[in-house]
Amino acid sequence: MRFIINYVFSEMLMRSNDTLGNADLALLYRSHHSWLHSWLSRRIGCHESAADLAQDTFVRLLKSRQISPLREPRAYLSSIARGLMIDRYRRRELERAYFESLALLPPQAAPSEEDRLLILDSLERIDRLLDLLKPRVRQAFLLAQLDGLTCLQIAEKLCVSRSTVERDLAKALQHCYRLRYAEQ
Amino acid sequence: MPNSEAQVLDPAVVDQAIHWLVRLRFNPADEQTQRTFEHWLRQRPEHFLAWQRVEALGDDFAGVPPDLARHTLKGARSGMHRRQSLKLLGVLATVGGATWLGRDYTPLPALLAQQHSRTGEQRRFQLDDGSLIQLNSDSAVDSYFNEQRRLIVLRRGEIIVNTGADAGSAQPRPFWVQTRDAIISTQNARFLAYERDDGTLLAVQRGAVSVFPGSSQTLSVNNTVQAGNQRLFTSNGVREFKDNGLDVWSWSDGVISAHHMRLGDFIGALSRYRPGLLRCAEEVADLRVSGTFQLADTDQVLALVAQSLHLRIDYRTQYWVTLSAAS
Repeated sequence: MRFIINYVFSEMLMRSNDTLGNADLALLYRSHHSWLHSWLSRRIGCHESAADLAQDTFVRLLKSRQISPLREPRAYLSSIARGLMIDRYRRRELERAYFESLALLPPQAAPSEEDRLLILDSLERIDRLLDLLKPRVRQAFLLAQLDGLTCLQIAEKLCVSRSTVERDLAKALQHCYRLRYAEQ
Repeated sequence: MPNSEAQVLDPAVVDQAIHWLVRLRFNPADEQTQRTFEHWLRQRPEHFLAWQRVEALGDDFAGVPPDLARHTLKGARSGMHRRQSLKLLGVLATVGGATWLGRDYTPLPALLAQQHSRTGEQRRFQLDDGSLIQLNSDSAVDSYFNEQRRLIVLRRGEIIVNTGADAGSAQPRPFWVQTRDAIISTQNARFLAYERDDGTLLAVQRGAVSVFPGSSQTLSVNNTVQAGNQRLFTSNGVREFKDNGLDVWSWSDGVISAHHMRLGDFIGALSRYRPGLLRCAEEVADLRVSGTFQLADTDQVLALVAQSLHLRIDYRTQYWVTLSAAS
């Protein structure tokens, strides 16, 4: 697996003309990769996972639209790596909660094993979105999307005006849009 | 549509599209609103593109059963909030070299340090006592060792354990594997444990393994499985394991090996090794597959099987593949 990532990485190095200069990136990789690996190893106590995360960090850096050379590369790399660690952690929490939920629901409601990954991927994106929303906005958005309630019904449920609900939903959708189209 | 994906839209237009979505999807719309909307939609091409994107924003919700989504999201959020997990990482940074092995149950580091493999990935590692663990695709384990025992908790998926000599201890500590359905105990063995939908499959290649079905409170029934045998356990006891032609050990060599196996079963087994949906049509599910295939390239496995059985492969996307009879 890591071999493949390495390969992908070198492929991407060759293609990314519009972002960091190739030479910059290669230099960055050479001078900080092993530092990042040991930084991660110390934190998660697992050599293999740390190696994967270190690769993922560089891949993420490549995909980002970082244009200027980095002034503090290690701070920048470790902040990406930290984000990835949290993503993994969140994913695991979601998976745990998913299985716990399955146990609570009637068996016929359980999706097939094949659909599990697709559903978890969706839930991961939804979870990331919910994280950005204020509690009331979050609640209104879930009532609209999961329960299919109209603005008026949500307004009654939350004891706010209908225009407030409409504003809340618009806000949630703006975040949604930004996650999908602006932050890649 | 790679070009339109990348196109940056005027935020004001996006806001308008969102406004329309709220009015049309989350409110009962009258004809007048509908007409005004359609007029807006036709005004400029950007309007249309913005609408397409905005309309698809709820796609993630469409694919998940509402009850399951509600429970899961709530459970995950109550488990630990993102900000708390940030704090947690701060704590870990100061704890420093808290290692995954060699200490007893340490909840926080264990949460992050769990060993896991992704879909399609297999992984092997050695524990402090010399035991070798192999993780199959999409699997996860924790290990909690103390002076009395060596304990592995199978969180998900499938492992092969080859117990080590435990030379560091005065005498080898018992080796336990806890799964959803049973606790497995041995001193010295090579065995496989796989959490399936219908129970935990246990196969033993070397030595002998004792199984206690159910949770730790009901350790009354003991079954010993000798080398060369396979059993299926549920939390209630033993079930007959039906051999469907799959060599359950084959993944440890990076291959999937089948003998006169139903195509439906084979596809089910293969789908564990690739993300997304892999299915075969009912009319071909009873065809038989024999052979040994490299797991590293599941597309190639599909191509080989399709060729030998005269099947058609439909790639709806890379993540949604269906096999059916070639017309």
